[in-house]
Amino acid sequence: MTHTLNRRGLSEDRTHDEIVILCMAQQKQKTQKQEALKEITRTILKYKPDNIMSAPLGANEEAIIAMSVGAGIITAVFNNNEDVRNVVAEIKSKKLGVSMVLSGLFEDVRGICAANNMQEHTYHISLGIFGRTDKLPDDKTMEITTQCGHALISPHLVNDIVKKIKKGKMTGAEGARLLIKPCVCGVGNPKRIETILDEMAKSE
Amino acid sequence: MYIDKDLCQSCLDCLPVCPMGAIMLKDKEVIIDYEMCVECGVCRRFRICPEDAIKQVEEIPYPRIIRAVFSDPLVTHESTGIGGRGTEEMKTNDVTNNFTLGKIGFSVELGRPGVGAYLSDLDKVARKVTSMGVIFAEENPVIPLIADRKTGALRPEILKEKVLSAIVEFLVPEEDALDFIDELKKFMNEELETVATMSVISRADQNGDSEFLKKLKDHGETPYPNGKVNIGMAIV
Repeated sequence: MTHTLNRRGLSEDRTHDEIVILCMAQQKQKTQKQEALKEITRTILKYKPDNIMSAPLGANEEAIIAMSVGAGIITAVFNNNEDVRNVVAEIKSKKLGVSMVLSGLFEDVRGICAANNMQEHTYHISLGIFGRTDKLPDDKTMEITTQCGHALISPHLVNDIVKKIKKGKMTGAEGARLLIKPCVCGVGNPKRIETILDEMAKSE
Repeated sequence: MYIDKDLCQSCLDCLPVCPMGAIMLKDKEVIIDYEMCVECGVCRRFRICPEDAIKQVEEIPYPRIIRAVFSDPLVTHESTGIGGRGTEEMKTNDVTNNFTLGKIGFSVELGRPGVGAYLSDLDKVARKVTSMGVIFAEENPVIPLIADRKTGALRPEILKEKVLSAIVEFLVPEEDALDFIDELKKFMNEELETVATMSVISRADQNGDSEFLKKLKDHGETPYPNGKVNIGMAIV
């Protein structure tokens, strides 16, 4: 999750692009917050996120809830701001005492907070990438690879998939599904990856 | 990780899935380069091999096991009890109040995005920030790797291990933070053999604004327009 703040390709020119939600029980409270995690995960699932923790491993809803309770954490990505507002509203109304982090454009987060009469509590801000930046892949590839919270999306696979899309052997949607597969946190955004892949296939 | 040569049919489907590019064709055989592999487990989890030829040894020996601990999110670190490479940092700050007004949290993540890092680079950064007098996040999984707290030096036997990434987390007084950023950026650009992301954690004021975010921009920084925000849900 830490790395979601380093996601590339989000722009203030395109608000309402995507929001990642994380809900986490503080470690010392994990045991007494199990029911709360269940409730939160059910609420998030109700709004049909574009990806959610454990889904890339093939977990069904029951397994996702079980894993979130065990881990004391749930992560999901949405492409619809309105859904996020509603998720926040519902969870707020239940007063479950579990922390929530929204990861996305600060402007979008402000809007979601304001709509729910809430305020930002703590910010985590990226200052960028330093050191041997000559070793980095190109910007478009990084827009995809930075979508995995643990850097498990291979830039080599991105290039391989783009080649297959160009040859008509694979669609952008199929490529996106493959790319989010190793990302167990479920914060890879298949819709955004599909769009980027199609852009890359057209431009190369 | 290794390829079982008896099972591998050389279809080459597995080659691109490794984030480190460690799976390769060498002398007409598919191999996983032992040095490049960070034991992240992606190649196995992909289930891309129809012959199940991608294998893991029964027990990864020390110090190589550190590669898995810092690269495979399904490996929970003993010292934190949570999966992943960092801590709860600001994610539960509405409960813990670890980050208060007047203090800036720092996360320096070596090897990200997508390059990987030898722990010799982590050693450099740990020594540097120790010399600058930071307050380390003690629950961070990097802390047990530090052999000498006075200098920040890591255990010598682990310096040649490669990981997907490792995060150094610490606190700096807000009045020192901008100078600290300048010095650390210069150091990383001159000394590192890999990349590193640097991020800062700032407690919001009573209006939900981050004064420090404004200071960063005034200072000439170009922070990303997106980031993480704890919205205080635990205390509503």
